[in-house]
Amino acid sequence: MSSATEVASEPPTRARSPEPRTRRRRNPGARTGLLFMAPFAILFIVVFVIPIVVAIRSAFFAQVPRNEGLFGGGGVVEQFVGLDNFITAASGTAFWRGMGRVVLYAGIQIPIMIGLALVLALLLDSFLVRRVGFFRLSYFLPYAIPGVIAAMMWLYLYTPSLSPFLPWLPDWVDLMTPGTILFSMANMTTWTYTGYNMLIFLAALQAIPHDLYEAARIDGASGFKIATRIKIPSVRGAALLAVLLSIIGTIQLFNEPVILETVNPWMGKDYTPMMMAYNTMTGTISPSGSGPANAISILMAIIAGVLAVVYASLQRRRD
Amino acid sequence: MTPVTRTKRAALLATVGFLSLGLASCGDSSTEADAPSESDPVTITYTHRLPDGEGMTTVQEQVDEWNAANPGIQVEPTKFDGEAAEMSVRLETDINAGNGPCLAQMGYAEVPEAYVKGLLADVTEEAAAYEEDFSEGARGLMQVGDATVGLPQDIGPLVYYYNETEFENLGIEVPTNLDEFRAAAETAAADGKNIAAFMPDEGQYWLSAQAAAAGDTWFSTNGDAWVVNANGDGAQNVASLWQDLLDNDEVLVQQRWGDGFTQALTDGTLIGHVGAAWEAGFLLDDLDGTEAEGQWRVAQLPDYGNGVMSGPDGGSGVAVMDGCENPEAALEFLDWLNTSGDFLASQGLVPAADIEVETPEKMTRQFGGQDVMGELAVATENLNPDFPYAPGFSSLVTMSEEASNVAAGDAQVTDIFETAQTTAVATLENLGLPVSE
Repeated sequence: MSSATEVASEPPTRARSPEPRTRRRRNPGARTGLLFMAPFAILFIVVFVIPIVVAIRSAFFAQVPRNEGLFGGGGVVEQFVGLDNFITAASGTAFWRGMGRVVLYAGIQIPIMIGLALVLALLLDSFLVRRVGFFRLSYFLPYAIPGVIAAMMWLYLYTPSLSPFLPWLPDWVDLMTPGTILFSMANMTTWTYTGYNMLIFLAALQAIPHDLYEAARIDGASGFKIATRIKIPSVRGAALLAVLLSIIGTIQLFNEPVILETVNPWMGKDYTPMMMAYNTMTGTISPSGSGPANAISILMAIIAGVLAVVYASLQRRRD
Repeated sequence: MTPVTRTKRAALLATVGFLSLGLASCGDSSTEADAPSESDPVTITYTHRLPDGEGMTTVQEQVDEWNAANPGIQVEPTKFDGEAAEMSVRLETDINAGNGPCLAQMGYAEVPEAYVKGLLADVTEEAAAYEEDFSEGARGLMQVGDATVGLPQDIGPLVYYYNETEFENLGIEVPTNLDEFRAAAETAAADGKNIAAFMPDEGQYWLSAQAAAAGDTWFSTNGDAWVVNANGDGAQNVASLWQDLLDNDEVLVQQRWGDGFTQALTDGTLIGHVGAAWEAGFLLDDLDGTEAEGQWRVAQLPDYGNGVMSGPDGGSGVAVMDGCENPEAALEFLDWLNTSGDFLASQGLVPAADIEVETPEKMTRQFGGQDVMGELAVATENLNPDFPYAPGFSSLVTMSEEASNVAAGDAQVTDIFETAQTTAVATLENLGLPVSE
């Protein structure tokens, strides 16, 4: 999230470089600017650019035994393997099954969450609600809870012997079976991120000039009409942003399935692509190591990127 | 740039960035041994993940004692807060960056793979001096082929825990073979009790250890190639036992680390448990202050068809890492640490060293005055002497996945061992090691 704003706030590059002499005269200001940028630039390079370069490089290498023998001579060497890591990941069923799960999950969860967020934002923006600050904060609060903690809390709520509400439901209700677990996870993420997306909408709504409403009211539009004819069309840009961020977040689904897998081992270590990448790194999935793990990550990034681009261009064509 | 394309680009960058951030581990420099000289003491860095819980003698306290007595060899312990698998990744990153620790705790099953990756030092010569402190079987756990890579610390042979009072009420004896085990399970089940739990989340180590107790050897060698035999006669005996119990509904089916297990234990439904020796340290904690306090005992596993034997379910040693500049000094400290029985026992561990350990007061109380450590030591002696692990054993977590399908009724117990076989062969091949089929 932060990087999105960071990239957006980069100063536009100058089209033409001015004469050296004039540049020197203007320099004091530029140098101050560069100094102000330095903390960002250095951190950006160290924690962002370098890891990406390392990850991409590593995806083209594999560790192979140094020697022959039962233990490969007790050491490994890095070997350039070209696209092998990508081919292994993309030709196995595990990666695509995981991808299928998160795409299905995204298809169900994102529309529900975005819809809910929009409704909440409209309500808070409608003058029907008093103490907007209180509601805004309480809807947003779940997002402030660390993901793993939230996942564990929901796990307790889903566990029949501990749950306060499951005993009141019919016996056949089981929230952690192969058929229901995706929905149980969708519920967890919806709870966490609805408030966050609501804030995006709310910010967009508050940027709408209020004379528009006044004009509409003079024309005889009801509050409901103002919402559907003016407000919703005006927040389409925000909706696009919210959906794109959700698509990217969903492809990386990790905390929820990891926590649920601890009591549902049938899910496997490769339930989502992100889990697969992580467990490939730690060696519980073979072929293991940083090469295969990075290849999986990059494939995921490409797919998330493609999905985001496809969605954005579909949206644009409709406009 | 329109807002949309800028967002898109940012989003893409963000995706790639988050992914690589998640995977890149940033190491801090907490290491390296100084060259020994007369004025400067040798520094040994030691990474562990022992519990260091309340009331225990902490690693730091124990190390302080050593440091005070040995000014020439100063040890700096670091506790790793995280899972074993994460520690392996961390060690690999640090060692490849040249700032790994000198000593590191490592599960026995992880040792061969770490050796293949070149993370461990061959200290066969230096370790020879400490041979008599450990039994041959225990030493074997820290050997890779002919090379010794460290010293064993704690050990987890499978044992049988049971509630003696409940057993007497039901008129059943501790089963000494599988037929008696089936009969006892049937008697108990008729009264709504279970003398064991089938635990899918422990499928990997728990079931492989039982196969070892039944006399199997999973990894052997033929010339210069690995031979995998995870579905042998022993595994079949183990599979048929649990399959019968599952089919007859005479076993509790719960995840070991879920809350259902604890609940069955506290409400008295579960009155027996095939578990690792290290579970003695905490298994009965939830029964403190209840009626069942002091009713449980520990016994040897039943004869799985190949004599009274046990199998290794966890436990770990401390390995000397590649790049350690003073392996001799490191091992001197390590031998002292791993033979400090009271320290290890206070951490809830069963020492791997050949030493007499007094049963801690807590265990004496929970096990009704039984000499628990003595009984566990017998299990250690009974360990299958020929059950080495091969590189890549951690990928056999597929056994737990399959065990979960068994619990759901979608697979047979024998499928778990079949899965172990295929996974083990595939992993060895993926590691680029020779396998003979």
